[in-house]
Amino acid sequence: MSKKLWTMLVLLIALMLVLGACTDNDDSSGPADLTKFPLVVDNEGEAIEGGTLKVALGTDTPFQGIFSWVLYEDSYDADIMGYASNVIFETDGEFLVNDKGIASLEVDQANNKAIVKIREGIKWSDGQALKIEDLIQPYLIIGHPDYEGVRYDGDFQNIIGAADYHNGKADTISGLKKVDATTLEISFTKLSPAIFSIGDGLWGYAEPSHIMKDIPVGKLLESDAVRKTPVTLGAFKFDKIVPGESIQFVRNEHYWKGAAKLDGVILKVVPTSSIAKAIETGKYDMTAGSLPATTYPEVRDFENITILAQPELSYSYLGFKLGKYDTATGISTMDPQAKMADVKLRQAMGYALDIEQVNEVYYYDLRSRANSLIPPVFESYYDETLEGYTYNVDKANEILDEAGYVDTDGDDLRETPEGDKLEIKMASMAGDPIAEEMATFYMQNWADVGLNVVLSTGRLIEFNSYYDKVQSDDPEIDIFMAAWGTGTNPSPAGLYGKESAFNFSRYTTPKLDELIAAIDSKEAFDIDYRANAFHEWQLYMEKNAPVIPTQFRTAIYTINDRVKHYDVNLETDFDLNQIELTAEEPIK
Amino acid sequence: MSEQLVNAKSQNEYAMSSPPSGFQVIIREFKKDKLAMFSLVGLFVTLLAIFIVAMFIDQDQLMKVSPRDKFAEPGEKFFLGADQGGRSISGQVILGARNSITIAFFVTLITGFIGIAVGLITGYFGGWIDNIFMRIIDFFITIPSLMIIIVLVTMIPKYTVTEFIFIMSTFLWVGTARLVRSKSLTESRRDYVNASKTMGTRDATIIFKEIMPNLSSILIVEMTLNFAGNVGLETGLSYLGFGLPPSVPSLGTLVSYANNPLILEEKWWVWLPASLLILLLMLAINYVGQAIRRSADAKQRLG
Repeated sequence: MSKKLWTMLVLLIALMLVLGACTDNDDSSGPADLTKFPLVVDNEGEAIEGGTLKVALGTDTPFQGIFSWVLYEDSYDADIMGYASNVIFETDGEFLVNDKGIASLEVDQANNKAIVKIREGIKWSDGQALKIEDLIQPYLIIGHPDYEGVRYDGDFQNIIGAADYHNGKADTISGLKKVDATTLEISFTKLSPAIFSIGDGLWGYAEPSHIMKDIPVGKLLESDAVRKTPVTLGAFKFDKIVPGESIQFVRNEHYWKGAAKLDGVILKVVPTSSIAKAIETGKYDMTAGSLPATTYPEVRDFENITILAQPELSYSYLGFKLGKYDTATGISTMDPQAKMADVKLRQAMGYALDIEQVNEVYYYDLRSRANSLIPPVFESYYDETLEGYTYNVDKANEILDEAGYVDTDGDDLRETPEGDKLEIKMASMAGDPIAEEMATFYMQNWADVGLNVVLSTGRLIEFNSYYDKVQSDDPEIDIFMAAWGTGTNPSPAGLYGKESAFNFSRYTTPKLDELIAAIDSKEAFDIDYRANAFHEWQLYMEKNAPVIPTQFRTAIYTINDRVKHYDVNLETDFDLNQIELTAEEPIK
Repeated sequence: MSEQLVNAKSQNEYAMSSPPSGFQVIIREFKKDKLAMFSLVGLFVTLLAIFIVAMFIDQDQLMKVSPRDKFAEPGEKFFLGADQGGRSISGQVILGARNSITIAFFVTLITGFIGIAVGLITGYFGGWIDNIFMRIIDFFITIPSLMIIIVLVTMIPKYTVTEFIFIMSTFLWVGTARLVRSKSLTESRRDYVNASKTMGTRDATIIFKEIMPNLSSILIVEMTLNFAGNVGLETGLSYLGFGLPPSVPSLGTLVSYANNPLILEEKWWVWLPASLLILLLMLAINYVGQAIRRSADAKQRLG
C-alpha cells in the first residue's frame, strides 16, 4: 500500500512542477506606450443578423442595482445604465451640449433662463411618448423633501423655486415652466458657463413621469420601477435582472435613432481576478466601462482583441477628514480640532507618497502622478504649470520637523506638537487585485517619515460600504483614498462646495466659497476669465491641500475581434445601436 | 532441577515482557510502520528547522512591500521568488508555517484541555450535570461554527494571532468533549471506579489519576488528529480571506493567490511551495496519528 501511495505522491509533485514550467514565458515587460492605442477599431467580416453582445462587469462585489439616474451611487450601476440610457443631451468633444441629442439647449443669458426643446415622436421603451413632464419629473424627485439621494446640492438650489419646494412650502418648482408640448423653460437664480456643460442645476436625463409620479419619493429606492423594470430611452431595454449578478437587455424597438442591429446584450458580473482569463477565452466581447488598469499586463498579448485607450474624466486622490456634514441643513462645517487640521501635516503626507513607483510598476504608466484636481482632458482649464505634490522624502521630513511633529519618545514615530501620540487611521477600498499591496506600500511610505498610519477597522473596506462610511463622517476615518469621475462639467461646486454632500473632506472657508463662485459667475462666460478663475482655485487647493490628487487615469477597453466597429472617441456620433457582430460567438 | 530453574526463569521473562507498557507499544508500532516512522522523523526535523529559522526573520522587514521586486522569479535575490508586493516567498512560507503550527498547537492544547476536562467530569458524574453539558454541547454542534468564526473575524477591528486562537477555541472544544464524555461514561461504570469510590477517594483524584490514564491512548490520538485538522482550518480560513490579516504571513494567504489565473499559470512559485508544505505537513501528522491509533487497538497493531 505504501509503495503505491509513494508513487502517486511523487507523480503528483512531478505533475505540478511540469505544469508550472510549461508556460510561455513572455518577456514583454515595460510600460504601456499610450500613443500606440487607437480610439476606434474596425474588424473585417460579414455582419451577422442580430446576435447578442456579451459584456463583463469587472467587480468583486454584487452590483447595487439602482437603475435610476437620480438615485444611482456608483460607477457600476452607471456602466449598466449606459446600455439603456435616459440621457437627453448629446455633447461634443469639449463636453458642450450640441443639438444632436433628443433635446436641444438654448441659453438666455440676460434673463437667466434656459430653453430646452425636445424632438417630436420620441418614445419610451414601453411605447409611451416622451413629454415635457418627463423632463420635469427628475427635478421634482431630487428637490422633494423625502429624496434620499445625494444630488440635491448647491447647483440644484440654483433653480428658482427649488428651495421652497424642498422645504415643503410649494408643491411644485416655480422655475420650471412647460411652455408647450415640446418646450421647457427653466429659470435660474444665476447662470454660469457651466450651463453649456449641463451644469448649474440643469439635469441631463428624463424620468418616465407616467410611472414615477405615482410612486412616493421616499419609496423610490426600493420600487420595482427603479430596481426591477426600469423604463428607458436607450438603444436597449432591461429584460431580465438577476440581482447583483447579471442583466439581460433586449433591443428597444422604439429607440429614436433606429432599432439596434443587435438582438440584445448580456451583462454579467465577473470577479476582477478572472476577468482577463474570461476575455482571453472569448467568454465576453468587452467589459462594461473600462478594464482595471492593473489587468493590462494580462490582456496586452491576447490575440482575439484590440485594446483601445482613452484619458479619463476622473482622478484618484487622498482625502483628509476636516469636519462634518450636517445632513439636515446640508452644510459642511470644519472642525479645528480634527487630527488632520494642520495643513503642514497634510502637505508632508503628500510629499511622502511614492505614487510614481506604483504607477510605473503596478499600472504600467497607464496612470500618471496628478498635479491638479482638474483632469488634463479639460484642456482649457487644466493648469499644467502647477507643481503638485511629487515624491520627496526629504521635503516631507523637513516640513514635519518645522511644524513641530518630532519624535519625543524614541520609537521612530513622530508625536504631535502637543506631545500626544499620533495614530492616523486610513480608510482604503478593497476590490482591486493589488489593493492590499498598495495600501501596505503607502503605509510604509508614511512610516518612513515617521508617521504611524493604520487601516480603519483593521482591514480594507468593501466597496459598497466604503463610500457610505466616508460620506457619513465615520469617526474611525482620518484619511481616505478615493477616486471619482468629474463628469463633463469641471466646475468644482458640486464636489468641493460648502453645500455639497460629495465634499468628503468637509473643507470649507470663505475664500474657497469666493473662488468657486468666481468660476461659475456671470463674468466667467468669458473663457479667459474662467480659465484664470480655475487657475486660482487649483492653486488654492494645492496650497491648502484638503485633498491631494494622486493619479490621473487612462482607461483601456478590450474589444473582441468579432465586433465589427467600435469607437470610444468622445467626439464622434457612434451609438450602441450601430454595433454589429461578425460571428455567432466571441472569437477565442 | 536446573531445567526447572531455567523454565521458571524463562517463564518469568515472558511474564515480564508482556503485556508491554503503553509507551513501548507505541514505539514498537512505529518501528514496524516505516511510513509513520519516516513521517515522525520528517515532521520533527521540519518543525525544528521552521521554528529555528523563524527566529531569525524579522516579520516587519519581510512584509515590506517593494513594488519593483514584483513577482521576482526564484533566483539569487529571492530563494523562492517574490509575490505581488515584492515580498520573499521563502520567508513567508517559513513564518506562515510557524504561525499556522503555533495557532494549531495552541488551539489543540486549549480545546483539548477544556474538552477533556468537561468530557471526563460530565461522564463521571452523569445525571443532571451530564444533561446540562450535553445540551450545551448539542447547541454548539448545531451552530454553523465556521460561519460564526468568519463573522466574528470580520467584526473585530484589530485582531492578531491571540484573538484568532481564542475565537477558534471557543467553538472547537465540543468535538473533543463529546468523544471523551462517551468513553468516560463507560469507564466510570467499571468496578475499579466503584471500588475507589467505596474507599472514599476524592472524585478529582479518581477522574484524573485513575480514569484519564486509561483513556490516554484515545486522548493522544484525538489530539494528534485534531492538530492536523486545526492546521487545515487555519490555512483554510486564511485562504478564504477570513483568517490572519493580510499583513501577517500565512500559508493560506499564499495559496489564495492562486485564484488569479495569471499567478496560477505563470507565477507558480507564489503558491506551489505553500501548497506542498501544507500537503506534506498534513500527511505526516495523519500518518503519525494513525500509527498511534493503531497501537491503541491490539487487533489492529502491526507489531
